[in-house]
Amino acid sequence: MPRIEPIEPKLHMDVLTPEQLASIRAATLQILEEVGVRFPSERALRIFAEHGAKVDWQRQVVRLPAGMVEEALSHAPRSYVLSGRSPGTDLVLDGTQSYFATDGCGTQTADFETGEQRDSRKDDVAKMAHVADGLSSIAFYWPMVSAQEYGRLAPLHELDASFGNTVKHVQTETVMGEQPARYAVRMAEAIAGSREHLRAKPPLSALICTIAPLSQDQEGIEAAMVYAEAGLPVGFMAMPTMGSTAPAAPGGALVIGNAEAVSAMVLMQLVAPGAPVFQALLVSGMDPHTADYLVSLPQKYLCNVAAVQMAHDWGVPSLAGTFGLDAAEPATWQLGRDSVYTALLCALAGTDITIGLGMLKASTLLVPEQIIFDDEIYHTHRVLAEGLDVGGEGLALEVIAEVGPGGHFLAQKHTRRHLREVWIPQLTQPRPAVDGTPPPDIRRRARARLDRILAEHKPEPLDDAVRGELQAILDAAERELGR
Amino acid sequence: MSQEMYDKLAQAVIDGEPEDAEEFARQALDRGLDPLDCINRGLSPGIDRVGELFASGEYFLPDLIIGGDAMKAALGVLEPALTGGQERKVLGQVVLGTVEGDLHEIGKTLVGTMLTANGFLVTDIGVDKSAAEFVAAVKETGATLVGASALLTTTMLHQQEVIEALKEAGLRDQVKVLVGGAPITESWAEKIGADGYADDAISAVAVAKRLVGAA
Repeated sequence: MPRIEPIEPKLHMDVLTPEQLASIRAATLQILEEVGVRFPSERALRIFAEHGAKVDWQRQVVRLPAGMVEEALSHAPRSYVLSGRSPGTDLVLDGTQSYFATDGCGTQTADFETGEQRDSRKDDVAKMAHVADGLSSIAFYWPMVSAQEYGRLAPLHELDASFGNTVKHVQTETVMGEQPARYAVRMAEAIAGSREHLRAKPPLSALICTIAPLSQDQEGIEAAMVYAEAGLPVGFMAMPTMGSTAPAAPGGALVIGNAEAVSAMVLMQLVAPGAPVFQALLVSGMDPHTADYLVSLPQKYLCNVAAVQMAHDWGVPSLAGTFGLDAAEPATWQLGRDSVYTALLCALAGTDITIGLGMLKASTLLVPEQIIFDDEIYHTHRVLAEGLDVGGEGLALEVIAEVGPGGHFLAQKHTRRHLREVWIPQLTQPRPAVDGTPPPDIRRRARARLDRILAEHKPEPLDDAVRGELQAILDAAERELGR
Repeated sequence: MSQEMYDKLAQAVIDGEPEDAEEFARQALDRGLDPLDCINRGLSPGIDRVGELFASGEYFLPDLIIGGDAMKAALGVLEPALTGGQERKVLGQVVLGTVEGDLHEIGKTLVGTMLTANGFLVTDIGVDKSAAEFVAAVKETGATLVGASALLTTTMLHQQEVIEALKEAGLRDQVKVLVGGAPITESWAEKIGADGYADDAISAVAVAKRLVGAA
């Protein structure tokens, strides 16, 4: 089995017409120029001021002229590589295939042995990195839960657990702040082997969340600038929620999120021209009675597609968000219903990268076998997005003539050659037991597959010198930053 | 040298190459190897391995069937060469057919392949066979097991005729009758006095073994 099976879509879906896309772009530029975005970072404000933005130092809000935005973004590369540490794990973000990752970063785990819900810890991150290494749906790894026992240092320990248990590219969504980001860069250097290699083949990238409406997170932006200067790809995820942190209108939510992500990507280009960046825009809804965050909404799925179009319109790779649905239990009708739309629409939209398999309760709860269910949906969507191949041996004229009227194709070599190309979902097609005993329920089957991966799949370990370096970096971080 | 030949025969079955299996069987005879040894130490381990790979899910039906075809092709060369007194050990002699007026054969073919892979000697008389033709085949082969397949509600009635015809020919006691097909149920099998029923080719093997006292 190949280590990574990306989606190579032949079918394509757009939600926004070119006119709608243009009007969103114009509206975004208008908001950036007239309303502005808050950057609670002195350094960021200074850099913006130096490049001609209007800075309100007291409110810490920058307003960006359209020309400045477009000039800055023209430096952002459309295409670059996210690297793993083994052959076959490099991801080329050029719009011709989609790569999916795990979800993160939750705080609760359904214990691997007892199933009881408990606080998450570093070993959960390690185990799931191991599982992700063995699933071909996973192209890169997001640490799925927080290594909470390490307090402030949790994000760096998450990286340690990730690098140590998968050869695939790792993307962090939890390292925040200038100092921790510097340690993360050092860890990435240890993996890459050198500073030059780090830029050419980055084993680590980062995602920074904005704060809707129209604000940045201080520690997020300061970490982002460190990554951009080091040459590590950094992306920005806006999560406007219709009705609470965004207008109760998809267009308005998209514009707000667009402005947040774009302003951050502009800053990266000012700090380090040509810095590889990506955009993520996850519009959601809220429960109208409680303002609780809701993920499983049809309008959200449509906004996911629009967001891909918008990122590509700016000329940068897009990261889409999938799975991580509201349900709290695997294998329910609700989860089945919602899982179908989420990843499929993003794949058909042609997103470059996507998170997040494996989590429940809006990405807060890790139930270990959930990733197996999401893996199955992923492959279903992979096959759907690839369309039908009816060329060459796919038309099968020779064997049709050979078998003729009546008869059957079961004993034909053509059948033997091609039958495996007809992909069949595994969880719902158990092999019949020879003695007729009924198959175990679907959650047990999923869990059995997970356990098999943990028992039989062996990710290539880091060599001792690198492991030692990572530990030394963690020790230094602990001395400087405390726990 | 002989082990090398047995291995080649086994591999031709595992790889599902009927032409190769036939060729290796000829070569084996040309080199003076004992045909029964070729079957027991070459073909049988091969088909056992195919069965293992199928049971583990790695092999699909076409792999199983073409493996069975490879075995049959080699047997076609080796069996005529068996000297008097030598006999391939089989679990039972089986006559398989689809009943009168019914042209469906895939299920029956699969049952035949599975039974062959599990040590039965199968004579498949084909589709649209009258009860008299079933009886004739039983007389000719000395079969101890008959499998009658029907896919239509309109043709399943002929399964009962096969049983009646065996009674009239005085053969009912020496033969166990197994019925199957999409409209067939356990209660239909009981109603018409059949000895066994299976709803797919895999479970048919277990039923067949039970019926001949081998399970």
